[in-house]
Amino acid sequence: MGTSVQVTPLSGVYGENPLCYLVAIDGFNLLMDCGWNDLFDPSLLQPLSRVAKSIDAVLISHPDILHLGALPYARKHFGLSAPVYATEPVYRLGLLTMYDHYLSRRQISDFDMFTLDDIDVAFQNVIRLKYSQNYHLSENGEGIVIAPHVAGHLLGGTIWKITKDGEDVVYAVDFNHRKERHLNGTVLESFVRPAVLITDAYNALNNQVYKRQRDQEFIDAILRVLRADGTVLLPVDTAGRVLELILILEQYWAQQHLSFPIFFLTNVASSTVEYVKSFLEWMSDSIAKSFEHTRDNAFLLKYVTLIINKSDLENYAGVPKVVLTSMASLEVGFSHDIFVELATDAKNIVLFTERGQFGTLARMLQVDPPPKAVKVTMSKRVPLVGDELKAYEEEQEKIKKEEAVKKASIVKVEEVRATSSHLSESTKGDSMVIDPASATASPKASSHFRGQMDILIDGFTPPSTSVAPMFPFFENTAEWDDFGEVINPDDYVIQEEDSNHMVGNGKSLDVKPDEASVHLLLDSTPSKVVSHELTVQVKCALLYMDFEGRSDGRSVKSIISHVAPLKLVLVHGSAEATEHLKMHCAKHVCPHVYAPQIEETIDVTSDLCAYKVQLSEKLMSNVLFRKMVENEISWMDSVAEKTNEKVFTLLPPPSAPPTHKSVLVGDLKLADFKQYLSTKGVQVEFAGGALKCGEHITVRKISDSSQKGGTGPQQIVIEGPLCEDYYKIRGHLYSQFYLL
Amino acid sequence: MASVVTGAQNKRPNPNSTSAAATREGDQLIITPLGAGNEVGRSCVYMSYKGKTVLFDCGIHPAYSGVAALPYFDEIDPSTIDVLLITHFHLDHAASLPYFLEKTNFRGRVFMTHSTKAIYRLLLSDYVKVSKVSVEDMLYDENDIVRSMDKIEVIDFHQTLEVNGIRFWCYTAGHVLGAAMFMVDIAGVRVLYTGDYSREEDRHLRAAEVPQFTPDICIIESTYGVQLHQPRPVREKRFTDVIHSTISQGGRVLIPAFALGRAQELLLILDEYWENHPELHNIPIYYASPLAKRCMAVYQTYINAMNDRIRTQFANSNPFDFKHISPLKSIENFDDVGPSVVMASPSGLQSGLSRQLFDKWCADKKNACVIPGYVVEGTLAKTIINEPKEVTLMNGLVAPLNMQVHYISFSAHADCAQTCGFLKELMPPHIVLVHGEANEMGRLKQKLVSQFADSNTKLYTPKNCQSVTMHFSSEKMAKVIGKLAEKVPETGESVSGLLVKKGFTYQIMAPDDLRVFSQLSTANVTQRITVPYTGAFEVIKYRLKQIYESVESPPVEETEVPTLIVHERLTIRHESDTYVVMQWSADPISDMVSDSVVAMILNIGREGPKVTPIEEKTQEEMERMARKVVHSLMVSLFGDTKFGEDGRLVITVDADVARLDIKSGEVECENQGLRERIKTAFGRMQGAIRPIPKP
Repeated sequence: MGTSVQVTPLSGVYGENPLCYLVAIDGFNLLMDCGWNDLFDPSLLQPLSRVAKSIDAVLISHPDILHLGALPYARKHFGLSAPVYATEPVYRLGLLTMYDHYLSRRQISDFDMFTLDDIDVAFQNVIRLKYSQNYHLSENGEGIVIAPHVAGHLLGGTIWKITKDGEDVVYAVDFNHRKERHLNGTVLESFVRPAVLITDAYNALNNQVYKRQRDQEFIDAILRVLRADGTVLLPVDTAGRVLELILILEQYWAQQHLSFPIFFLTNVASSTVEYVKSFLEWMSDSIAKSFEHTRDNAFLLKYVTLIINKSDLENYAGVPKVVLTSMASLEVGFSHDIFVELATDAKNIVLFTERGQFGTLARMLQVDPPPKAVKVTMSKRVPLVGDELKAYEEEQEKIKKEEAVKKASIVKVEEVRATSSHLSESTKGDSMVIDPASATASPKASSHFRGQMDILIDGFTPPSTSVAPMFPFFENTAEWDDFGEVINPDDYVIQEEDSNHMVGNGKSLDVKPDEASVHLLLDSTPSKVVSHELTVQVKCALLYMDFEGRSDGRSVKSIISHVAPLKLVLVHGSAEATEHLKMHCAKHVCPHVYAPQIEETIDVTSDLCAYKVQLSEKLMSNVLFRKMVENEISWMDSVAEKTNEKVFTLLPPPSAPPTHKSVLVGDLKLADFKQYLSTKGVQVEFAGGALKCGEHITVRKISDSSQKGGTGPQQIVIEGPLCEDYYKIRGHLYSQFYLL
Repeated sequence: MASVVTGAQNKRPNPNSTSAAATREGDQLIITPLGAGNEVGRSCVYMSYKGKTVLFDCGIHPAYSGVAALPYFDEIDPSTIDVLLITHFHLDHAASLPYFLEKTNFRGRVFMTHSTKAIYRLLLSDYVKVSKVSVEDMLYDENDIVRSMDKIEVIDFHQTLEVNGIRFWCYTAGHVLGAAMFMVDIAGVRVLYTGDYSREEDRHLRAAEVPQFTPDICIIESTYGVQLHQPRPVREKRFTDVIHSTISQGGRVLIPAFALGRAQELLLILDEYWENHPELHNIPIYYASPLAKRCMAVYQTYINAMNDRIRTQFANSNPFDFKHISPLKSIENFDDVGPSVVMASPSGLQSGLSRQLFDKWCADKKNACVIPGYVVEGTLAKTIINEPKEVTLMNGLVAPLNMQVHYISFSAHADCAQTCGFLKELMPPHIVLVHGEANEMGRLKQKLVSQFADSNTKLYTPKNCQSVTMHFSSEKMAKVIGKLAEKVPETGESVSGLLVKKGFTYQIMAPDDLRVFSQLSTANVTQRITVPYTGAFEVIKYRLKQIYESVESPPVEETEVPTLIVHERLTIRHESDTYVVMQWSADPISDMVSDSVVAMILNIGREGPKVTPIEEKTQEEMERMARKVVHSLMVSLFGDTKFGEDGRLVITVDADVARLDIKSGEVECENQGLRERIKTAFGRMQGAIRPIPKP
C-alpha cells in the first residue's frame, strides 16, 4: 500500500558538498538538484556517474553552482539526458552563473570540464515552470505531479512538491522564511503533513541577528572603510544573493545621497541585471507593488555601475569604492585578482556575505584568527606566438571547416539581430553603465559577427516563420560608417582566428550574445596560461556577515515542526548540525527521522494504508458536519458494500450502530482557555504549569503530548473538590471541544 | 491528500427520487451572463456551483456611459461571490472593477495576471480622465482605482491557486499582453472561460494554449462569428501597402486604434517596415497616446509573458524601443505639413485625437484611414466602414467623406476556424457562447451545432441575465486512511470513524489518526474530583453493587489504597479518612455514572434513602413506557406525530407521511431523506432507552 519512496544521496550529506539526491517514487527516478562546487572537483560526481543514465527527471531548486553546477558535465560525460525542470529565473540565472564560472576558469586555466556549448546543450531542454504550477509528468512518470513553490533564498528559488496518489514528498533545501527586499519568504509552512520532507541541516546550528541590525552593521562597516579612503570588496555569487546586496546598497545610497562609486563586476553583470529586471513576477510583493504604482523597476540601478571588465576599474584606482564581484570563493576570477590587489593595504576590507566553500581561499580567510599571509597563484592568459601559434592555427583551420558545415544551419537569425542591435547602439554611444543595453555588444563582437556572416551566407537559410530575412540591416550604410570609426584595427587580427569559434558556439547566442561572446573571444584567442605563485600579506580587514538568506536554526526547527512531516530526511549540513537536527526532530517532530550517508538508500515509503470508498447519498443525508477551522467533521457509521472490484459504497447501517467511544475534538491552549475563563468571570491564574481556576480547581495539560508529531491525543486533567465551581469549569472546558 | 473524484455526466435528475432534492440543488451549475450575453462589451459572467460562486470579468460597455455601461450587477448579490477573475485589461473586461470593488458589498478575492494589473491601473486612470461625463455619472474616481489596486491579487500563468475550495489557474490567451483564459475547478467540475483569445501567434504574443484537460463547460467568445481572418502575412502586406501607397502619393494615414494591446503590434509592424524601407525614413510615424508611452515600461518588463521571438530580441535590445516612431502629445504639437502616419485613440473615432485628425483629413481623397480592429456598434468608425458619402463632424457640420477607408482587422480575436479548431481539440460537453453580436453568435452556433452533430455537445447562447442551468451529479468519494484502512472490509461489514471534510475532499479515519492526517487534534479529559466522605469504604462498595452490575475492587497491594472500579470507567480511591477521590475520563456516559455515584456517596452520609428493589416491570409496561417516550421525543423532533390504527407511529412532515414501527424500527415512507432521518432519530432514542453498554 502507499507510494514507494526511496531517497539516495549522491552528494551533499554530512558536509557542505554540493547537493545532489536521488528520489525514486514508484520506480521513477527524480534527481533533486545536480550541484558541483566552485572547484569543479570531478571526484565529487562519482556517485552521480553511476546512476545518471537511469534518471528520469531532474528538478533544480536554485540558480547557483551548488545546485546546478554539474548539469553540463553530467550531460556530457555521464549521459544524463533526462528533462530538467526549473523555474524561469533558475534557468536564466543558472545559465548566466555557469557562463560566469566557465569564463572565470578559462581566464586562468585550460579548463576543459565542459565548454560553453555543453552549458547551452544542458540548458536547452530545461522545462520552465511557474510557482505553484502543477505539472503532470507523462509516460513512466504518469500520475506524478511536480510543483515548484517559493523558497526565498535566491530569485526563482524553489521548494519542490512531488505528489503521487495524494501523497506529498516535499524537497525543501536552502529556504528562507524571512521576507527580504527582493524576495518573498518561503511558503513551506503552508504544507502540512507531507508524507516525506527532505530538508537540509545546513543552518541548524546557526542563529541570526535581527535583519535591521545586521543591515545597519553591514552599511556601517562599509562606510567606515570608504570614509577612510579604503576599498570594499564583496565577493558574491553571480546572480543570487548579490541582488539583495545591490538593493540594500542602492537604497542606502539613495537615502544618504552618497557618491562613493559601487561596481558590480562579473562576466555577465549587465545581462544579469537586464534579465532580473524582467523577473518582477518572481520577486517580493513590495517590488511588484511599486512597479504597478509607479512603474519604477527596482533593478533600474542608479548607483551601482555594471562592468564586465576589470580594466574599467583602473580609472578608480585610488578612489574609495565598493566592488561586488563574483566567485565568492576567491579562487578564480575577478574577485581573486582584486583580492590580491587589495589585501596588502590595511585601509581596505574584504566583506564576506556567505560562508566560503570548503577548501577555498575564502574559507581560509574566514577562520578566526585570519591568516597573516596566504599563498595564491596568479595566472594569466597570454597570446600564443611563433611556432605555437602556427601549430594552433593549422589545427583550428581543420576544425573550422568541419564545424562550419555542421553548424551553419543551427545558427539563426538571432546573431544577425545581435549585430543589428549593436549597430544601433554604437550610434547612441551611451556609457554602458547608464544604459545596460549598450553594454551588450562591443565593437569587437560585431566586427566579429561580420566575419561570421561571411562564412554563413551560403549555409544560412531564413527560418520559414520569419517575415523578412534580417539581411537588410546591413544595407544601412550610414551606420556602417559610424561603426567603422569605432573599430580598432587590432580587433581584426583577433577576429580572423576566432570566427570559427563563434560558429561553433552559435547556440549560446540565442541566449545572450554579449559579454559571453566578448569573453569567449578573449578566451579562445590562441593563448596559453602562464602562472606564478606568490604570497600575499593579508593586511586588509576581513569580515563575515551572514547574508546567505537562509532560515536560521531556530526558525528551521519551528518550520519543520509546523510542517510536521510523517517522515523526515535530513541532508546537506555539517555532521554536527545534521546530528543535532536529527536529535531535535526525533524528539519533537516525528519518530521517523533519517540522515542517510552518500549512496545509502533509505526507504521512506509511507506505511499508510488507504482505500477509496464512495459515500452514498443516503448516508450523507444523515451526516451533520461541524465546522472546525477549515475542516468540517462528523462521526460516521456505515456499512460497506462492494460495488465493483476496487470501490466500496458506504451505506447507512441497517440497525442502530453500537455506541462508540466518544471523541473530543479540539486543540486546547491553556493560555487561550485562561482568557476565555476570565471573560466568563472566573478568577484564573497560572500556577506551576497548571491553570488555577477559582479557589480550588486546577486544569493541567500533561506535557508529553505537546510534541507536535506525536500521535496521541492531548491529555488534559481537571481536578478539584466537589463543588459547584467544578461543574461550571468543566462546562467551560467542554465548550472548547466538539464532542463526537 | 486530495481525493476528489467527481463524475459529471448525468444531466437530468432522476424524477423518481425526490429524496436527494436538497443535495441536488447544490449540484446545479448556473451560468448567467451579466454582460456580453448576445452583445460585445461589458463582459461579466456569473457562475455558481455547490454554493461556490465565481465571477469572470467585470467590464463596461464602451457605447454607453455612466451606470448604463455597467453589467447587470443588481441580478446578483456581490457579497456571495468568492472569486472574481479578470482575463485582460481591456475596458470591456476590466473597467467596472473599481466600481464593483468599491461601491458594492463584494467581499471576495480578485485575481488577474501581473501585466494586466500594471496596465489596468494606467488604463483606468486614463479612462477616468478622458471620459467626459458629469460628476454624477462618474462610476468611480482615481482614488477608487488606487484603492482597488490593493485588493487585486496577482496570478501567474499556470499557477494553481485555491480559494474556498475553488481551484483555478490560467492559460495564455494571446489576445493582448497578459491576457489569460481561466480554468476553474469546483469539486471536480471544470469550467474554462476563454475571455478574448487568439490562436494565432503574432509579433509579440504567444498563441492561446489548448488546455491539457478537457473542461466540462467552455464559456467562449464569439466576436467574429463565422468570419474568417486573412492569414497574418496577407493582412500585414495589405496594411503596409495601403500605407506605403498613400504616403507615396502625398497622403496622410490615420490609424484609429485603442492605445494598448493591438497598437503595440501595429507599431512593431510599422517600425520593422520602415527599417526595411530606407526611402520612407523621412516620413514620420506618430503614436498619439501618452498612455501607450506610459505603458511601455510594462511592455518592457513582462517579456516573459510574450513569445520567444520577442524574448530573443529583448536579449539584444528592447524591441519596444522604436527607431522610426515618435510619440505625439496632442494635436497642438502636430506639425501637419506633409505625408505622415498617425496612430491615435480612441479606436471608435467617438472623440479625442483620432476624431480631431479624422475631421481634419476626411475631405481629402489622398488621405487614408485604416481601421485595424473590431469596431463596436454605434461608433463613427463602424459607420465609415460602410463608406457613406458624408459624415457629421464634431462641430456639427457635415463634410464629404473622401478619404479612403480600409478595414484590415488585426484584432486578436479567434475567427471561426480557430474557434472550431479549439473546441474540436477540447471537446467540452457544454459550450456557452458569449461576447458576440446576436447575429454573429447565432451563425456561429449553427456552425458549431453541425460540427458537433454526432457528439453530445450542448450549445447555449444566453442573453444577459438569462441563466443556463446544468446538472452535474456528483458522486462523493472519500478516502479511508490510517488505522481504519488496515483491513479492507467485505460487503456488510461496518465502517465507522470520523468523516473529515476539507474543501471538497472527504477522509474517513480513526479518531486516533486525526492528529496525523489533519491539523485537528483530539483530547482526553481526565477528571479527578474529591468528594468528602467519612464513613467506611465498604459501605460505598455495598451501595454501588446494588446499583451497578460491575463493581470491581482490585487487591490493595496493586493500588496502595482501597479502590473501586465501576463499569471499568470510574475509579474511586479511598485516599484519606475524610474524602474519596473519583477519577474518570470524560465522556457523556462516564459523566453520568460519576454524577450518580457522587449523589450516592453524598447520600450515604445522610440518612440515605432506602435501597428499595425496583419492582420488576413487566415486559408490557416497559413496552408502554418506551412507546410513550418515543412518541413524545418524535413530537419534539418532527411535530405532527400520532399513533396510527395499526400501532405504528404516523409522522407527518409537510406533505410526506412516514410510518414507524416501534417494535422493529422499520420506517415506511416515500421520502427517502425523511425515512433515513427518522430511522436515525429512532436509533438514537433506542440507544438512550437501553441499559448502559459495556465499554
